Amino acid sequence: MSEATTAVLYAPGTNCHEETAAAIEQAGGRPALVLLRDLVDGRARLEDYQAAVVPGGFSYGDHLGAGRIFATTLVARLRDQLVKFLASQKPILGICNGFQVLTEAGILPDRAPGERAMALIENQSARFEDRKVRLLVSSEKCMWTEGLAGQVLEMPVAHAEGRPLLCERGNRAQVVFYYADIEGRPTLEYPANPNGAPGAVAGVTDSTGLVLGLMPHPERASLPAQYSRDGLKLFRNLVRWLGK
Amino acid sequence: MAIHSVYALYKDDAEARSWLSFFRSHGCPALDGLVIERVFWLEGDVSVERLLPLLVNPLYQDASERSQLDPSLGPIVEIAYRPAVTDPETPSILAGARALGENGLEFARLSRRYQFVGLQEAEARRLAARFLYNKIVERVREPGEVVTTLRPTGTPDPVRAILLAGLSDKELVELSHARSWYAPLSQMKAIQAHELAQRRPHTDAEIEILAQSWSDHCFHTTWKSLGLLKRLSAATARINHPLVVSSFKDNAGGLDFYEDWVVTIKGETHNFPSSIAPFGGIATKHGGVIRDTLGFGKGGYPIGGSTIMGTMDPRLPDQEVPAGALHPQLIVTESIRATAYYTNPMGIPMMHPIYRIHPGYAKCFALGHSVGLIPRRYAIKDEPRPGDVALLMGGETGRDGIHGATASSTGMTGETLEKEFAAVQIGHPITERKFTSAIPVLRDAGCVRSITDLGAGGISCAVGEMGAETGVRIDLDVVPLKDRSLTAWEILLSESQERMLVAVPPEKLAETVAILDRYEVLHTVLGHFTDNKRLEAFWQGQKVVDLEMSFLWEACPIDSTVIAEPQRQLASLDIPEPATASEWGEAVRRVLTHYHCADQQAAGSQFDTTVQGRTAVGPFGGKSHRMPTNLYVSAPLRGKTYEAVVAGADYHELALCDNFYTPRLRPDIAWDLKRMVETIADLSEQLGIPFISGKDSSSGTMESGGRRIDVPPTLVVSVLGRVPDVKEIVTKDFRSPGDRIVLVGRANPDLLGGSVYADSYGQRGDRLFDAYDAASIRAQWDTILHLHREGAYLSGSAIAEGGVFLRLFEASFGSGLGARIDLNLPIKGRRDGLLFGEFVGSVLLEVPPGMDSFLDGVSHYVLGEVIEEPRLILTEAGHGVWQDSISSLAAAWSKTFREVVE
Repeated sequence: MSEATTAVLYAPGTNCHEETAAAIEQAGGRPALVLLRDLVDGRARLEDYQAAVVPGGFSYGDHLGAGRIFATTLVARLRDQLVKFLASQKPILGICNGFQVLTEAGILPDRAPGERAMALIENQSARFEDRKVRLLVSSEKCMWTEGLAGQVLEMPVAHAEGRPLLCERGNRAQVVFYYADIEGRPTLEYPANPNGAPGAVAGVTDSTGLVLGLMPHPERASLPAQYSRDGLKLFRNLVRWLGK
Repeated sequence: MAIHSVYALYKDDAEARSWLSFFRSHGCPALDGLVIERVFWLEGDVSVERLLPLLVNPLYQDASERSQLDPSLGPIVEIAYRPAVTDPETPSILAGARALGENGLEFARLSRRYQFVGLQEAEARRLAARFLYNKIVERVREPGEVVTTLRPTGTPDPVRAILLAGLSDKELVELSHARSWYAPLSQMKAIQAHELAQRRPHTDAEIEILAQSWSDHCFHTTWKSLGLLKRLSAATARINHPLVVSSFKDNAGGLDFYEDWVVTIKGETHNFPSSIAPFGGIATKHGGVIRDTLGFGKGGYPIGGSTIMGTMDPRLPDQEVPAGALHPQLIVTESIRATAYYTNPMGIPMMHPIYRIHPGYAKCFALGHSVGLIPRRYAIKDEPRPGDVALLMGGETGRDGIHGATASSTGMTGETLEKEFAAVQIGHPITERKFTSAIPVLRDAGCVRSITDLGAGGISCAVGEMGAETGVRIDLDVVPLKDRSLTAWEILLSESQERMLVAVPPEKLAETVAILDRYEVLHTVLGHFTDNKRLEAFWQGQKVVDLEMSFLWEACPIDSTVIAEPQRQLASLDIPEPATASEWGEAVRRVLTHYHCADQQAAGSQFDTTVQGRTAVGPFGGKSHRMPTNLYVSAPLRGKTYEAVVAGADYHELALCDNFYTPRLRPDIAWDLKRMVETIADLSEQLGIPFISGKDSSSGTMESGGRRIDVPPTLVVSVLGRVPDVKEIVTKDFRSPGDRIVLVGRANPDLLGGSVYADSYGQRGDRLFDAYDAASIRAQWDTILHLHREGAYLSGSAIAEGGVFLRLFEASFGSGLGARIDLNLPIKGRRDGLLFGEFVGSVLLEVPPGMDSFLDGVSHYVLGEVIEEPRLILTEAGHGVWQDSISSLAAAWSKTFREVVE
């Protein structure tokens, strides 16, 4: 087991933190559940962790917009800690609501806290979509998918706001995951592409390949009883990277 | 103080598009467009510009100081919370503003402006009133309205004394009805006598408490009058099952799991509110039953839930919907939206989403379950001790849900929709989610002596029950209110959601407060437990309630009930047996497209089935993840050497939860109810499978236009069990071509009464499939258990609605394989009955070559074999009868329900 600890950040309304921590553990990593409020109140510090995951859920009830209040807190109250964390080249993963948080905070795609250049808007169906999807891994440089390029991974999605909207001015979003059809090709067809994502985009990384955001849930495809264990590959890459 | 406003429009508004298409297909084809503009109202000395990043995201929203809607394009209806009521988002906006350093923001509100292009003002308002807001807490904001403050304002009514002395029987009944107490004469007279004995008139608060505590919903007067309340629990006691940890006493039932954990189950109906306001009713159905898990023992954790809905046929023409009832299509679509709205943010996987129809469900059937997990040492709560703190936590108390208990205990009439709208609660899952996280922490820290949820009857019922053995004294002035105009009895009875009551040992109060603050859960010390066995409440310097617990809990008169066996007129079936391939095709489609058999994933895919990472088998499975499994398997203990699971188990390790929904009591209904309860209680005892939790509702009658519409006497039994290893679970999808398809158990094709097949002809029939007796059920189960242990079958499913045929289709659909079935079997009777008969208790198994010997001595029929090609092929003595591809059948199967909800 690596000595490095991964912070699993959660706030009121986050509801996937425990299984995310379990998946990291399953991959041989060391997770720590960190309450956002404890960071704000100074009971915990981001610098004590070597990586961070923002898990899924409905943080603050999705009030004002999915991930908005979590992101506002990160950017306004924890900006210095966040900037330092990014500058130290530490990996960050945002899953579902966590992906929404990272885009609302400007961490994805441009590593620029407070400058939003991407959003995840309401699904084309205007509904919550609970599905099992296939994801084609691109060959973009990304720590989280190292060695997985060209593979098709199976894991669940469960969200109502997951349609990516990329700002046209030159952002550096690099697509890591595409929703794929039964043949493993990127698809725009519903429900294999569950939210109407243009370009079939399911997950993106930043210019360093260290920050990853994706709508599907790798932690729900990591544990022995689950229908697929493809998600574990992402967490194994994290553990390998932290062990270097 | 200055009030600012910010108007926001979505550049691409999927919600507006979705409402537009919904309205257009629901009687409003003239609607040309729908635009939704969100308005933020901000009071205080703030920089709006600095707040903008919190309120809008310019990537997908346009913000402005003035409305961007052009009034000439169509009427605009603006909906806001009432002045006395706090918006649920207000605390989030205030917290966000503080995070941004904008501390001058004192209050905030939201409103939504809907512009209906192509409609007249009146029609727009009608649609808004019916679909877009709840008039108990929200209202239409008139154009040009001047606002001086956003803060909640309002004045409560004073507490009044109500003198019953001298009122005649008739006057008592009239008063009871006029005040929405719905207490029968016997109860009114008991209260009148109590008034005389205590030599003072009761306060309105006291009578309100008595009426709701004695309502059928809370006190189960109907079941008590029939002597049924203890019937199931007595059977459970006699079974004395070693795995039962808690039954019928607590908010849920508990079954021993592995590793010193207990799994819990509770089912709760919310029929009345869901019938008059489905969105609010269904959302709070889930909120309420989840709180039963949280309020089990010293605080459980929810790991799964269900939604089971019974309505009239959603395809009913408008004119056939009874006056005073909502259109069933609206109930179904709103209920789906509400289940998604509540259970997804709660982070609780959906185990069983089930939708059923019957012409009797004018007052709909709305059942939800919650399954939970708790360490064994916390599964039994303690009694509160005198001096313990009564701590209220969760949401603020408002006007929502007042008289829910009494209103739901009465029948429904054409006027109920108007009169009792206040009985509908509003749900806010984020509030419940917060204490769902905090409760296990409180429990493990020793802060919980006892815990219960606030449901029907609100504060009064929760403190009254928890303090029944001791006494309790509370102060209503400290209750956090979202509505300033609530008077004492309304605070006591409000069924505002997301509240829990905890008895905290006094030395643990500081720690409790610290934990709740950390999890951002609102909390208040409501009072404390006493030793005088009285319920006492104070408000504005007055003692407004002073009732002895013995009167509250022991003095309710139970009216006796007359029982008479109903005279039934049942006609035998008149259904032609299919002869040609096209007639077989027609019969097959009748069953496949029947509402009960059809693909219901259009609803199910809107509910999270994999959250918590514990799902081993979800409600939809197979290769396509679209095959209904009729099963939910969870592996809730993480990091263990084996993965223990809930569901799909040895029958020696099962427990049951019952939910009854029956019409209002009449002699014939009483007979049916009594027989139902006695039958399942006896069966439970004979099988040795105990009921550990249950709930009854006896108000399933609607009176409309001189017509009485009774719900069909409804019983839902859910099964909870354990299995030591998820890998032992077998699902229904076929595994391998060449395997034999075997029916194990009895088959009687002529007994089609009550089947889906008969129903598809609009018939019921007079002969149901023979019920198995307990001894043969046990023998059948022992056989299957043996076959399972030997690995003698690779897939399997129980025969139910849609008969053998539906299972063949599902098993093929789920696997991408097919089946060839030969009807030439040593079974007498109709050939269609062989496929569509509902041989409850029999099972369909896929037996691989070489495993045949395990079937020796087992009553079984080899129906055919699994084939590579995804087709269903029917033959008789080798000659083709009918065949079709799975894809063509699936297209028909998936259409029925989608057409209703999309």
